[in-house]
Amino acid sequence: MAERLSWVPDDVDTGLPSAARLYDYLLGGGHNFAADRELAEKFLRAQPNARTIARLNRAFLRRAVLHLVDAGVRQFLDLGSGIPTVGNVHEIAQKAAPESRVVYVDYEDVAVAHSRMILADDERSTILQEDMTDPDAVLAGVRATGLIDFAEPVGVLTVGVFHFVPPERDPAGVVAAYRDAVPPGSHLALSQFTSDLQPEEMSGVVEVMRDSANPMFPRTHAEITALFDGFELVEPGVVPLPWWRPEQGALEEDADRAGIFAGVGRKA
Amino acid sequence: MNDVSPPARTRRQDIAREWMRAVYPTAYVPMSPLEIELFLLDLVDVIADAVQAEPFAVDPVDVVGHRLVQAHFTGPDTLQRTVGVLGHALLFSPELRDVPRLAEKVVAILGSVSAGFATAMRLDAFDQQEEIKRALMAAKLRAERVLKVSEARFREVFDSSAFGIAITDLLGRCVEVNRALAEMTGRDRGELTGRRLVELFDPADAEAMTRSYRAVGEGRVARIREQRRLLREDGEPVWVHLAVSLLRDADGDPAYHVTMVEDVSELHLLQKNLDFQLLHDSLTGLSNRQRFATRLEALHGTSRAGITLYHLGLDAFSLVNNGLGHAVGDRLLTEVGRRLEAAVADQDALVARMGGDEFAIVVDNSPATPSVPAMVDRINEALLQPMDNGVALSATIGVVDRPPAGWDVAEILRAGDATLRRAKAGGKRQWQTYDKHVDQQVRHRQARAARMPGALAERELEVEYQPVVDLAGGRVLGHVARLRWDEVGHDECVELAEETGLSLALGQWALREAAADAVPESFGHLYFELSPMQSRDEDLVRTVKRTVEETGLPASRLRIFLDTRAMLDGVGEDNAQVLRDNGIATGLTRFNGGQAELALLDELPVDALVLDPSVVRRLAERPESLLHTAVERMVALIRSSGVAVLVPDLSTEHQAAWWAGVEVDAAFGDHLAPAVPSYELSGT
Repeated sequence: MAERLSWVPDDVDTGLPSAARLYDYLLGGGHNFAADRELAEKFLRAQPNARTIARLNRAFLRRAVLHLVDAGVRQFLDLGSGIPTVGNVHEIAQKAAPESRVVYVDYEDVAVAHSRMILADDERSTILQEDMTDPDAVLAGVRATGLIDFAEPVGVLTVGVFHFVPPERDPAGVVAAYRDAVPPGSHLALSQFTSDLQPEEMSGVVEVMRDSANPMFPRTHAEITALFDGFELVEPGVVPLPWWRPEQGALEEDADRAGIFAGVGRKA
Repeated sequence: MNDVSPPARTRRQDIAREWMRAVYPTAYVPMSPLEIELFLLDLVDVIADAVQAEPFAVDPVDVVGHRLVQAHFTGPDTLQRTVGVLGHALLFSPELRDVPRLAEKVVAILGSVSAGFATAMRLDAFDQQEEIKRALMAAKLRAERVLKVSEARFREVFDSSAFGIAITDLLGRCVEVNRALAEMTGRDRGELTGRRLVELFDPADAEAMTRSYRAVGEGRVARIREQRRLLREDGEPVWVHLAVSLLRDADGDPAYHVTMVEDVSELHLLQKNLDFQLLHDSLTGLSNRQRFATRLEALHGTSRAGITLYHLGLDAFSLVNNGLGHAVGDRLLTEVGRRLEAAVADQDALVARMGGDEFAIVVDNSPATPSVPAMVDRINEALLQPMDNGVALSATIGVVDRPPAGWDVAEILRAGDATLRRAKAGGKRQWQTYDKHVDQQVRHRQARAARMPGALAERELEVEYQPVVDLAGGRVLGHVARLRWDEVGHDECVELAEETGLSLALGQWALREAAADAVPESFGHLYFELSPMQSRDEDLVRTVKRTVEETGLPASRLRIFLDTRAMLDGVGEDNAQVLRDNGIATGLTRFNGGQAELALLDELPVDALVLDPSVVRRLAERPESLLHTAVERMVALIRSSGVAVLVPDLSTEHQAAWWAGVEVDAAFGDHLAPAVPSYELSGT
């Protein structure tokens, strides 16, 4: 029977804005649609510093990955990787250590399709379509890729995405599940929006995102630090983005307006 | 660039640093500040060289804009800041101070950089848009493919289901119905689409059904199951089970009802019937062996106090069947089944017909369960009362009481069966409980019998020779052939061979072996006892003659002993005569001395006999007695008629002395000399 049943819902994502493409737009990328840009403009009105925050967050990802490579990590699990944009984890890691392997995880159809295209020719990287808040499914899928050896240290990255995990999804439990799956010597790099910095702007952002596909849940410094339970935080701990191990020659950045706390922990 | 002097480079580095600081905040570039500075320094070189070049041309700086965009210096403010930094630096750099028409050249160069940047940005944005659109397309295709697969799966279930399925909108109209539902209602699928599903049911059910659908639709209950009457097109009601659930749309709002319809009328009942027949005995309606085994297994696995199996065989049922006819037999079996069920009605028990005239009962024991003997009494009493045609039956019962937990169902059933066979051997209306020891012996023996043909083929059996001795003079007259199979001795070998029908082949083989071994003169006479089966064999004479011819054993040295009991049956009588006619001395073995046997001595042309081992055993068991005197006189009597008497199995000095006193002709036994294999025969 060729005709489609009239009652089967059409589930394909069409014009809905996505946080991944909004982030891409804020970073100056062109991988976005009108709806995403419209949402981004609202976001920018609530938080005029959003482009800078996006840039700082992306820069933190780069520094964190390089730090992990220095610490001997050669395999990465990038949770909520979003739209591949400039400076992807596999590019950074493989430039520093060509044998590095990366499994990206995202659940958004377009981001996944895009990642598949980008990674088609890279044997050491792949994308897994799963919800990062379902660690069992993610870990099973990761194991099936064969790219990650769970006997060796793993760099678990959740950079600029944890603010999309609602409290009812048990954020601490999610992190703990990944922590328990990886061996000692593994690292967690995490960054997420906080209302400790610029609380007014932050509540504006929460308002803007409330009815989108990706509502946001900023957390306090204490809450974010608590997510590193079972990890030893590396210096300087959980700090505003620009304060996390700035590189030589870095420009002075306004930490008060950085929006996001970031940190890296090592599993002992 | 190579001719650039060091001091000039320093100035260019300053420009690059200034440029980096200007554009760094405008866009994310995946490089460290120092890496960015070096990257920009290359571009500063290109630009500064171009300013100084003669003749002047802007072409070399075309690449600058492109390379900036490629490295992702693509922020909204990046170009403006770039032009600001470069304009100031180029116009006021000491290095370029003497360049003629400097301002004009700087404007031209910055114009070219800007144009290149704009073009690259446009192309880059275009590429990225292309890319994201392709990604969107890919995502859509994939989603559609997944949807198609899940649709195909659903379609398969929908079309092939034996359940009727109807999908109705919230107003109760059929959006789609499957073939099974159309068939149930006797209507056309197309005709049903658009009709209200409730109209297909008995009007008396309509109101209640509407309420049910509303309850599901409002989410008050997740699912409703109820029994209703569907009306066929011809008005015939069809009893069905309904299961109604709700389908929601992508936003989670109620969209459709799904109704599953199971036909529980005739067809369904017929199916149920078939299942019943597969598990029940069609005559008595009792469980059949299959179901009994399943139930037995379940009870055995879960029983607290253990189970007891009663395996019953009706005594002499074939008499009823043959004498009164099968119809009577069938009625009898049904009545027996009914009575057995009544007898254990107060127990957690199952009665089954295991086939033919055999029944079985399994009882899950409880503290109130009667003992096994009491249970057997109950069963016997239940059968005792004559049936309405005057026939009374009894049963023989094999009981397996509380089998070990480790036994599987096949083992329990086998034990029940074996115990019934054993009880039956004891007569009618007997019962026995399973005896592990006896059972093991029987099984061991059966296993051995089953292995015997293979053992013969594999030459595991041997013929040994036991000297036959003249008790008076101690002289060895010859040897009697004995069979051996590992630890199994002669008598048991013969019994096993008789039971398995191997006796004939085994006997022929042994005779040939023995004849060949007996060829040397020193062997003396070969005494060979035939088994009962061999004694009756019509081909016996030919076999013996051929053996003698082929082995070269002189017929005068061969003494064949026929089995006495076989001769009593009268079948092999000719064998004795014909053997004798062929010059082979013939005797009887296993001679008991009964009247009939004594009479045989008159009828058959025999000149020797071997007493039965039991005679020797019986005399040895008691001191001097009447029996001793009787045997002594019998031996004398037989010998006086010209028949020699041989005694087997002498195992003590006392025995040897007594039999020597009776003046038998010869004897053999372990006391005199053990049996030995052929290669140990002395003098050969």
